[in-house]
Amino acid sequence: MLFSRRLMLGLAIAGTMAGALAFPALAGEGPTEIDLFFPVPVDGKLARDMGTLIKEFNETHPDVKATAVYTGSYDDTLIKTRAAIKAGKPPSAVIMSANFLLDMQIENELTNLDALIKADGTTKEQFLGQFFPALQGNAVINRSVYGVPFHNSTPLLYINADKAKEAGLDPSKPPQTWAELTDWAKKLTKREGDKVTQWGIAIPCAYDYCGWMMETLTMSNGGRYYNEEFGGEVYYDTPSMLGALTWWNDLVYKHKVHAPGATPGPAVSTSFISGNAAMMMLSTGSLTYVRDNAKFAYKVAFIPRNVRNAVPIGGASLIVPAGLEADKQKAAWTLIKWMTSPEKSGWWSRATGYFAPNMAAYKTPEMVDFLNKNPDAKTAVEQLDVAKPWFATYKTVPVRKNLEDEVMLVLNGKKQPKEALAAAQKAADETLKPYNAETSLKLP
Amino acid sequence: MSLAEPAALPVATSAAPRLDVLKRLGTRFKASLPAYLLLLPSLIFLALFTYGAMGRVLIDALYQRATPKAPVRFVGLDNIAAVLADPAFSGAVVNNLIYAVGTAVPSIGLALLFALALSRTNAVSSALRAALFLPVLIPMVAASALFMFIFLPNVGLLDYYIGRLLPVLPNWLGDPDIALYAIMVITIWKNAGYYMLFFLAGLQAVPEDVMEAAHLDGAGPYMRLRHIILPELKPTFLFVIVIATLNAVTQVDHVFVMTQGGPSNATNLVLFYIYQQAVEHYDVGKASAATLLTLAALMGLTALSFRTMANREGGP
Repeated sequence: MLFSRRLMLGLAIAGTMAGALAFPALAGEGPTEIDLFFPVPVDGKLARDMGTLIKEFNETHPDVKATAVYTGSYDDTLIKTRAAIKAGKPPSAVIMSANFLLDMQIENELTNLDALIKADGTTKEQFLGQFFPALQGNAVINRSVYGVPFHNSTPLLYINADKAKEAGLDPSKPPQTWAELTDWAKKLTKREGDKVTQWGIAIPCAYDYCGWMMETLTMSNGGRYYNEEFGGEVYYDTPSMLGALTWWNDLVYKHKVHAPGATPGPAVSTSFISGNAAMMMLSTGSLTYVRDNAKFAYKVAFIPRNVRNAVPIGGASLIVPAGLEADKQKAAWTLIKWMTSPEKSGWWSRATGYFAPNMAAYKTPEMVDFLNKNPDAKTAVEQLDVAKPWFATYKTVPVRKNLEDEVMLVLNGKKQPKEALAAAQKAADETLKPYNAETSLKLP
Repeated sequence: MSLAEPAALPVATSAAPRLDVLKRLGTRFKASLPAYLLLLPSLIFLALFTYGAMGRVLIDALYQRATPKAPVRFVGLDNIAAVLADPAFSGAVVNNLIYAVGTAVPSIGLALLFALALSRTNAVSSALRAALFLPVLIPMVAASALFMFIFLPNVGLLDYYIGRLLPVLPNWLGDPDIALYAIMVITIWKNAGYYMLFFLAGLQAVPEDVMEAAHLDGAGPYMRLRHIILPELKPTFLFVIVIATLNAVTQVDHVFVMTQGGPSNATNLVLFYIYQQAVEHYDVGKASAATLLTLAALMGLTALSFRTMANREGGP
């Protein structure tokens, strides 16, 4: 009895080891096998669309066998990519949140794409020239290309047109300035005694979204969130950001047209869809969701300005992690060029609601047709003229969180904008200190 | 995990001469060799995935890099000192203590109440038991997604009903004063049914004859609960308290899904702090140091409670 058990155990171990040894031998000959890590930031249908896209790629490229690996949210994708790089098995290409690129480049985790562009016989300028200029800032670091824009967004003002008409406002002339927006929000807020039954406007504030909205408001107020040329500086304690946060605070506590507290993105879109909020500021990425679910006429418009019209971009770029074999790098490059071509770029845009970064995509007949049917999708593209890069610094996420924690305190009535921004600046400077110590403050 | 550790370690019990002890150890080892062999496969996997990882954490906790491009170097206990000095860590510890007490006490109280009410088996109580156990079967991530919609400000299920009573509606997950308690409600809802199972089992072990004797002596329901049932349930209590405390540290999926530690770190718990250090700050040294501190605290707690239990079993 005992003997047979031992024998079985021995066999089991031998079997496992043999299996482990045999497995790598299966790979080798045949097409170059590459993995593409992709996140699904909006809804589940995208995973199927990605499957369709990769299947078509494999059918048209017999020398490459790409596999799409779903890796969760943007943050999860960063974690999994870093884990894979650490384990010595990096994926060949990743769809990475556009503002993580700088941080990864600082950590030496990205392949510089200049050589691959050169090998194709094109110049950097020609290559980048395919994409909207606003998107280039997040793809180019120290004048080298590290990412290829794949799907992008800007924030938009969504208006419930039915409610606007009810309140005597003309939805075909949406508010263009903060003053007009405040006025609209006041007219669109409904009260029963002390109780608000309909809010004039909703602006999301949860980690990630909050920082993006603060960048949006600060830019419309003439300011900058960070130093676009150098990852060691943010501009939190400035008049332009103070004005932005004070206005947001006023919407909540002075005009009482915005619900108090920090509200995450999904809560804002649900609130808008259910008619509880008459206007909202949200990403173009939510446009498809609103189009499919709104049971009322809606209107999208540019983010109103106080000083100038300006918005940050959002979305993701394709990157190639560092430490890949040459053949995989080449295969990944083939895949990336194919995915960002005008036809595929446009197809993906129509499937997701993001805009297509490749300008030529808007000249394809399918896209012209689509925009004629859905003119609201045009607003996001038009707003690109005034768009600028998304903040990206050394340790982007903690530096962003330094601001968001303070903004949340303001929206909950626990701090005043001025002291909150001073605290945020202090915390962010502390987070950025190690990077400055080896760059701007490392003196001869 | 602990199930796979060698249960029958050869230990010399009597004070025999040294040589004799060695010999006896030798024979004992020979006798238990098959047991070790049988344990070997799980030991291999434990070593690979548990002890190996723990050893790695121990090493990582001792290294740090001064600037992003600098190589990692040995820093001794600096990482642990940095974690202890970090206000975000102490904030997370305080939150976690509030969370542990605030979830363990109500969920154990409710579990006991449910168990007492449903200790007799009949069709109705079986159905109710199943209903109370149902939340245990729902994965925490799915439950969090459900509760996100219940807690939605203004339009969620909760506000829909409470909105008729209150003039100003609270922003359940967006207000730093309320968010932690909102999170705690989910934990209580999810765990009470699970702990109820242990109490139901514990109640089966209350000796019937003692209860009968008490009944004959004229002890009322309260007297029986106070002097017979609760003392008999003491081991169950100890066990459930340990489980609840461990859960308060390790089962924090809803923080990841619902609040990411926010707003303004109001729901930041220790495990989420570790995640932030490792992922957002990309600071493996500090994350490992915080992991070590947490592991030490959990191990201390477990050892203490098991000793209390062992004392009770062996004591008078």
